Amino acid sequence: MNRPLFSEPRATSPETGLHGRLFAASMLAFVALFVFTLLAIFAADVSYAGRQAMGEVLRSPEIRAALKLSLWTTGVTVVLGLLFAVPMGYALSRYRFPGHALVDSIVDLPIILPPLVVGLSLLVFFQTSAGNWIEEAGLKFVFQRKGIILCQWLVSASFGIRAIKLTFDGIDPRIEHVAMTLGCTRAGAFFRVALPMARRGIVVGGILIWTRAFGIFGPLMVFVGAVRFRTEVLPTTVYLEQSVGRIEVALAVTILMLVLAAMALVAVRTLGLRQQ
Amino acid sequence: MIRIEQLQFAVGSFALRKISLHVRPGEYFVLLGPTGSGKTLLIECLCGLNRIRSGRIHIDGVDVTRYEPRNRGIGYLPQDYALFPHRTVRQNVGFGLASRRSDPTTIRREVDRLMEQVGVGHLANRYPERLSGGEKQRVALARALAIRPQVLVLDEPVSALDEQTRDELCRQLKQLQLGTRTTTVHVCHNFAEMLSVADRVGIIQQGGILQVGAPADVLQRPAGTQVARFVQVGNLFAARARDVGGWVEVDCRQGIVLRAAKRGAADLSGQVTVMVRPENVRLTPATPEKPPEATALEGSVSAVVDLGPLVRVRVCCGEGVQWLASLGKREYQDHRLAAGDRVHLSIDPSDVHIMKDEPATGPEKEPRNSRN
Repeated sequence: MNRPLFSEPRATSPETGLHGRLFAASMLAFVALFVFTLLAIFAADVSYAGRQAMGEVLRSPEIRAALKLSLWTTGVTVVLGLLFAVPMGYALSRYRFPGHALVDSIVDLPIILPPLVVGLSLLVFFQTSAGNWIEEAGLKFVFQRKGIILCQWLVSASFGIRAIKLTFDGIDPRIEHVAMTLGCTRAGAFFRVALPMARRGIVVGGILIWTRAFGIFGPLMVFVGAVRFRTEVLPTTVYLEQSVGRIEVALAVTILMLVLAAMALVAVRTLGLRQQ
Repeated sequence: MIRIEQLQFAVGSFALRKISLHVRPGEYFVLLGPTGSGKTLLIECLCGLNRIRSGRIHIDGVDVTRYEPRNRGIGYLPQDYALFPHRTVRQNVGFGLASRRSDPTTIRREVDRLMEQVGVGHLANRYPERLSGGEKQRVALARALAIRPQVLVLDEPVSALDEQTRDELCRQLKQLQLGTRTTTVHVCHNFAEMLSVADRVGIIQQGGILQVGAPADVLQRPAGTQVARFVQVGNLFAARARDVGGWVEVDCRQGIVLRAAKRGAADLSGQVTVMVRPENVRLTPATPEKPPEATALEGSVSAVVDLGPLVRVRVCCGEGVQWLASLGKREYQDHRLAAGDRVHLSIDPSDVHIMKDEPATGPEKEPRNSRN
């Protein structure tokens, strides 16, 4: 018997039919595999580190100092990163100028470069006359805490700029134009319309900056070193602990970082990405 | 009220070419043109959103060419309405008043009044994402009116809506404008929309204004073949005209000769383009006696298209010469024409319009959304 070219539609939604369910299951399988892999690694870390190492980490004054420094430097980096990312993202999205494509690509360079190269380049830069002049003017970065922020900012700001530019790309400029006819100045339209509309993108940009800054290690080793109570942040602690053979302590610090990162991400997402 | 003089503005390879336009106080002016003709660009220049290269813009006698958009006294309703998605309906409508630092009591009273006026009072606390297209349009209109503009600029305000909502909103827009007498510039590409609201219409194409006039004048007497094509004349032919005293005789070749009434003292002899609107072509079943009109052609019906209230009949007169006629439903039912029927086409000389510019290449294609 010949089958009709178009069969009668079934009274099911796209997600409840057999094909729909199979499709959804195959997509979700990738999610499950990825999350399961991460959780399995995390569980192995927890089991290897053990309760004793965790206790040691929480009691150790060196690690507590590194934790404080990590949170403080990354916090400042996020503020500084957003301070640049918001106007830069807006400018790159709204204005066209000669060399726009080149500038847009340069902004992305830190995303592509290995972070270690950034540290090395900074070290070299501060050996030049321009670098010397900055240090002589009182802004000392090499082997200083300020250097941690500089490194983190250079490596992570591009992620924020990219995310925020994409957000502004998605906002119709006509909305700002209307605001301008209704009584806003150009800046007023930006602050009262574009900026609130870009809130979600700015939050995402901030998250990206923070996660990137929180995890960097290579450029810090080169540019500020790993001096306990002075320039040691949590990723440096992991390196220092594993280099002296205290793997369980290094893993315990890793777990601490993961828990902190997860808490921060959930908190920011809950507060910042909340629907109106 | 609005006087635009020699306005020039370019974006990439597209340019507005020396546009001059006068919109009278209290007038409902429609800027009509196809997609990509420069309509939106022109009104963005009027609103001050594009800095023009040369030319002047005067509003109510004041040269506003270098004024900021906020100081031009224009209420602007852009395509797709551009509502602020992070603000409620009430906050959207009150935005302009808040920007102008009106006191909160005035803002509240004015916003309530406007929301009631446009029929969105019950939606005051909703966000735009939860509004229908028609509701968004009303909110955007209230927002533009809240600043009590001297000029209201509406950029394709009803294009995104279904036909029924569009008709209703056009009626309300016209009613509102008649009530407030706010000078209004309405941009669109739809004839029915234009006819339902316009006091006068300006035809814009390829960055230039081709004709300004009353809607009936533009439809019946287009200034040139470009306008004639755009307003979907239907019967547009290259021809040779000859002054024969009281008439102009127009030879459309293929043995088709029309008589046209003379208008003014202009010399219409020579190569011309001639047009007759389909609704001005009268069809009667062919009989041995010719109709008494000065121009009577004979042909056979090649197609009949029922457009609802109107019926469009295509008639073949001679080799490859197609005429279009629009009949009312009643008229069509009286004759019951069908493909293959022989008919007489009668055309009054006053309905034959002659244009002396570049010749048309042949009859118009079947219009897509004509309601003529």
